Amino acid sequence: MGEEAARAVGISKVYGSGDTAVRALDEVSVGFPSGRFTAVMGPSGSGKSTLLHCMAGLDRVTSGEVWIGDTELSGLNDRRLTLLRRERIGFVFQAFNLVPTLTAAENVELPLAIAGTRPERGWRDRVVGEFGLAKRLGHRPTELSGGEQQRVAVARALLSRPTIVFADEPTGNLDSRTSAELLGFMRRSVDEFGQTIVMVTHDPTAAGYADRALFLADGRIVHEMADPTADRVLDHLKRLDGEDLDGGEPDSGEPDSGGRDDGESEG
Amino acid sequence: MWRVTLKGLLAHKLRLALTALAIVLGVGFVAGTYVLTDTIDATFSRLFTQVSKGLDVEVRSKEKFGGNQGDQRRPMPAALRDRIARVPGVRAAEGGVSGYAQMVGRDGKAVTTGGAPTLGISIATTPELRQAVTLRSGAYPSGPGQVVVDKRTASKEGFKPGDRIRVLFQGPPREFTVSGVVGFGDADNLAGATLAGFDLATAQDVLARKGVFDGIDVVAADGVGPETLRDRVSAAVGPSYEALTGEQYAEENAKAIGQFTGIINTALLAFAFIALFVGSFIIVNTFSIILAQRSRELALLRCMGASRRQLMASVLAEAGLVGLVASVAGLGAGILIALGLQSAFDALGLGLPSTLVQIRTRTVVVALLVGVVVTLLASVMPALRATRVPPVAAVQDAALPVAAGTGWRRVAAGTVLAAGGVALLLLGLFGDAGNALATVAAGAVVVFLGVAVLSPLVARPLSRVLGWPFARWAGEPGRLARRNAMRIPRRTASTAAALMIGLALVSMVTIMAASLKASFTGTLERTVAAEYILSGPAAGQTGFSPEVVRRIAREPGIEAAAGVRSGTFKLDGRDRTLQGVDPVAYDRAIRTETTSGSLADLARGGVAIREDVAKERGLKVGDTLPMAFPVGGSDPRPVRAIYEDNEFNGSYLLPLADFQRHYADQLDLFAFVKAEPGTPPAASRAAIDRVVAGFPGVQVRDQAEFKREQAQQIDQILVLFYVLLALAVVIAFIGIINTLALSVLERVREIGLLRAVGMTRGQLRAMIRWEAVIISVLGAVLGLAVGVFFGWTVVGSLDDEGITEFVLPVGTLLAMVAAAGAVGVVSAILPGRRAARLDVLRAIASE
Repeated sequence: MGEEAARAVGISKVYGSGDTAVRALDEVSVGFPSGRFTAVMGPSGSGKSTLLHCMAGLDRVTSGEVWIGDTELSGLNDRRLTLLRRERIGFVFQAFNLVPTLTAAENVELPLAIAGTRPERGWRDRVVGEFGLAKRLGHRPTELSGGEQQRVAVARALLSRPTIVFADEPTGNLDSRTSAELLGFMRRSVDEFGQTIVMVTHDPTAAGYADRALFLADGRIVHEMADPTADRVLDHLKRLDGEDLDGGEPDSGEPDSGGRDDGESEG
Repeated sequence: MWRVTLKGLLAHKLRLALTALAIVLGVGFVAGTYVLTDTIDATFSRLFTQVSKGLDVEVRSKEKFGGNQGDQRRPMPAALRDRIARVPGVRAAEGGVSGYAQMVGRDGKAVTTGGAPTLGISIATTPELRQAVTLRSGAYPSGPGQVVVDKRTASKEGFKPGDRIRVLFQGPPREFTVSGVVGFGDADNLAGATLAGFDLATAQDVLARKGVFDGIDVVAADGVGPETLRDRVSAAVGPSYEALTGEQYAEENAKAIGQFTGIINTALLAFAFIALFVGSFIIVNTFSIILAQRSRELALLRCMGASRRQLMASVLAEAGLVGLVASVAGLGAGILIALGLQSAFDALGLGLPSTLVQIRTRTVVVALLVGVVVTLLASVMPALRATRVPPVAAVQDAALPVAAGTGWRRVAAGTVLAAGGVALLLLGLFGDAGNALATVAAGAVVVFLGVAVLSPLVARPLSRVLGWPFARWAGEPGRLARRNAMRIPRRTASTAAALMIGLALVSMVTIMAASLKASFTGTLERTVAAEYILSGPAAGQTGFSPEVVRRIAREPGIEAAAGVRSGTFKLDGRDRTLQGVDPVAYDRAIRTETTSGSLADLARGGVAIREDVAKERGLKVGDTLPMAFPVGGSDPRPVRAIYEDNEFNGSYLLPLADFQRHYADQLDLFAFVKAEPGTPPAASRAAIDRVVAGFPGVQVRDQAEFKREQAQQIDQILVLFYVLLALAVVIAFIGIINTLALSVLERVREIGLLRAVGMTRGQLRAMIRWEAVIISVLGAVLGLAVGVFFGWTVVGSLDDEGITEFVLPVGTLLAMVAAAGAVGVVSAILPGRRAARLDVLRAIASE
């Protein structure tokens, strides 16, 4: 699969100190291969979001090293880190991804605008076209549906051709059909543009779109699954923890889509 | 419900702190004004009690003439003293005089005051009456060569008993030996006035009071009450004179000062009102934002069964509490301000005796009431709007406030207010309103309200225009700043409106000052033919000896030297001011256009009057004007000439011969000196300087110097206005800080997002900075628009007062806009820092 877009080397994240210290990540080492779609799963409090935040340079690790390409993050000051985020990392959050005063087009181009550069015209049009946003570009976020908003966010993340895109529960606020649509777009951006994506989700169906699923529990990676399907993921989650996990229920209305194995084509 | 109110307050205490600061400053201004003027009143009241110590009855002429040196009364014949001394129950009656006496310091310069008189008085010999003047060292004066000086002057100039000092009078200067240094109780001088005391005969001689008294002080025999004695004396002296007890005399003096401090009080309160008015905009804005942010919480309370009335009560209680706390703090601040000002007065040498700072119940009540009422009034609108929230909003996802509806109601209300305000303004300025000043002020307030109501309509387009340079050149932060400024027009507008008020007033006074200067310069060039203008130590306030003009006129190369004296006479029982001049010399120095008669005719005796006076009274040359004077009483004067207004002649010109007959004091306030054609300026100046060298305190200026000095004086007044208006501007900027800080809180997630996708802290600060600049410049531009309009109308209305030219000091006004932008940059520092410090993760995660 070639080199890794990002990797963590023995990273730990401890909140607080002394008796009240909480170890959110415990000596995690993991690599994210270029051009692959990785899903990070785990129950609430497992450390999956912390891992994402640390990898993305939004949070600092207590120990260990985080590499984005050939840059190690722990030595960077706020400014360098910000520039790194701007140039080499793309973000999609669960909600509130867009600046309300800007149009869809301006939101898509925001990181480039902040950097003071203009998007490559052909690339922009291709991304926008791919995400079916061409007719929505002049609209403000309040005039877009939830699915459209998230598509704008993914388009924004892709536009600067970042080394890696981190998505934190991107479908968390969407219904199952819009979720499937968005995940399809993300899948295609991996397949067609060779984009590297790391997505945190608690939804087995969403994980089914990935090439690989990582399972976290208590701050450690406890399992890795290649070419996950929704069913296998769900089974594994049930085995991981006997109790009913919050990730189980929302996508029950869409039994089939989870079983897709699109990831194979990229391999 | 009360618990909710209190919890709400505590949760938002930081956000409310800046709002409270606006109230604290306004209330502080109000309280400080009262404490200061009350303290001055009390101080003077004590001083006058001291000065009338031992005095049982004071006798003086009944008729008084208001003048620029205080009330003038006709001097009384010395024989009246003897008549009073014979009244049963009088132990002693002693005449006293007072007049102009200016000491000369060791450096040869006249000892000047900040505008207070330079007094010469006679020192009483009766032991009881001497108590008023407390001997600090040396002895009381006796004989023609001795003088006592007040302690403050003595300390300042280093005078001590035995020193020889020169004193200037109406007549020639004289030398004296200092016999002693005096105070007044524990005060070192008489409220800033310098004092030279002589024995009676000397005082009558040097103060031009030979054979007369200005007042007769009476001491009662044992067992005779002051009231009894007053009535007896009153009966004895006849109807031309009046007698009052020492207590009445002190009270009357204190009341005169009270009128003066009352004016100061009103003026300062006007500025305090402006500060509070601006502050109320801040309150409206802060409460609007906070309540909008809490709309979900309010909706939740509605869901749980709280009525609108209960919500309203809770919100208003919150406002009331904030107002109360802030008012208490403001009261404290005001007392501190007053203390500070008092020590500033002390440092300036006004020498007020130490009196306890006066904190009256009225001050406390007014300060608290004003603070609470203003806060409550300002929070009514936001409260009404906020409590209209439907219960269902609690479960809806509408956390952010929506843009204000820019409906026709706003247009209608704003237009009606603005038009009504302008109408009031014009009525006050040009019409015949009962109280012109109050009408103008009310008009201005209503105009401000109207513009404030209308401003949300223009806030978006104006922000777009003003933000254009930032969007163009300041990159994405600039673009976002412009969008943010346009985001909620009502918020941007009301924030800018607070600044608008301050800047409108600042630009108005700037325009007035510039117009005044230009008009004055124009008038000077048109009217004054003389090359030199002479004035006393405090120009127009203190006069100088007419000897100066007499001697200059005799110098070679001088064509004319014309002194101008000022006096008050009565016309139909009302005080009028006239100028006493030598018509021939004056006519050469000052260009006067007569419509009939000529100033040369005035030399025969009579009066020259201004055109409008003639018209009003239907007078023509040859008619008589029924004038009554302090000396000599009624003396109808024939009208010799009628002249056009030239800003220098005043309404009445009296020839010197008549002036000398009718006034006790003969001092020139100004003098105009014209050189003979062909005389080199250096020569004529040298001639004048030679004479003036003998009269320290007389200032000589050529036209250019005079213009410059007048301009400086106007600028000084302008600076005073700037200082007084500064508070309103400061409060407006507190408002900008507050709005930005609240916006940052409201936009936490957006800021987190921007940071996550690569906005640096510096860019974030820049974004907030440019938003602040756009809001400030918007306020400045609105303020300038209103200010220019105000200035234009006010200057237009003062045409009759000699402000004939309207000048727009474009450079200064543009500098104000730039300064507003600069202060915008400063006011963005704290909110910007706060935004930059936000933890990206928490910002994104926060709900």
